[in-house]
Amino acid sequence: MRKSRGFSLIEVLVGLLILTIVITTTISMFAERQKRMRFANETILAYQALSNEAEIWRRIDFASLDGQPPTFQSDTSILAPMAPFSTSVRVDTTRADLKNVTLTVRWSNARRTAKLAIVRVDTGGSSLW
Amino acid sequence: MVKRERGYTMMEIVVTLAVFGIFLMIVVILTAEMRANEKRYPINYMAHPEVSAVMARMRKDVFDTKYYPATFQSYQQTPKTLILYTLRQTGFGETVVYDFRSSGEVHRKGFNASEQTTDWVAHGLPDFTIGSFTLGTGQDAVRIKALDDQNRLAIDEIFVPRPHD
Repeated sequence: MRKSRGFSLIEVLVGLLILTIVITTTISMFAERQKRMRFANETILAYQALSNEAEIWRRIDFASLDGQPPTFQSDTSILAPMAPFSTSVRVDTTRADLKNVTLTVRWSNARRTAKLAIVRVDTGGSSLW
Repeated sequence: MVKRERGYTMMEIVVTLAVFGIFLMIVVILTAEMRANEKRYPINYMAHPEVSAVMARMRKDVFDTKYYPATFQSYQQTPKTLILYTLRQTGFGETVVYDFRSSGEVHRKGFNASEQTTDWVAHGLPDFTIGSFTLGTGQDAVRIKALDDQNRLAIDEIFVPRPHD
């Protein structure tokens, strides 16, 4: 008489292991993709705000740069989906006629940051550059 | 001999349901997170080549703009129409009209004096609106916005002309 046997314990365990690896990999890839898509969206929004703010700081009179409030002066409505977020502006004088303006947006409890730095030079001419 | 038939034991069923339940929970959590992100963030139009092409052309045109005519031929400055008097690479002026009045597309029309010389069209665009933005220096800039299908602000950019001597 033929003896009927099911799978051995080893076979079942190896099968389960393979299945677990496949499922875990698929789920983690899906989660990573979601995270990267969110970061990409946030970064694009952040750089729109940074670009707009740079246009303002590019045209502030060179002598007045240090006296400006250290936050964004432009409308930051575009950053609303990233709330709560914070903006800051730092002006470093590297030479008497040279200032570095660093614009920063922070979000996700300051774990994520986007920065844009512009250099201002005192050309002695109009304040437009 | 009577064959004895057995079903699954209670333990086997419980373990199977537990594994399936955990798997289902992970899928539901990930799906919910994906839905939450979709609701929270506007559509990323800037990844669309035609949208970024429009933004790039407009940025360049505004950068070289000398002034904004109030009217040109049958066009008027409105939130759907932008008229620029800009400089070409030849050094001569060109009147450029961005016409967003047709839904989902823009026409960039270039005019040499009163004669139309170019008509560039982009399709598949969001609903753009054009506004003005005055800098602290008194300089007039162009502010272009676009909302997505859920009325979320997806594009908000300021373009500033460079100073001309």
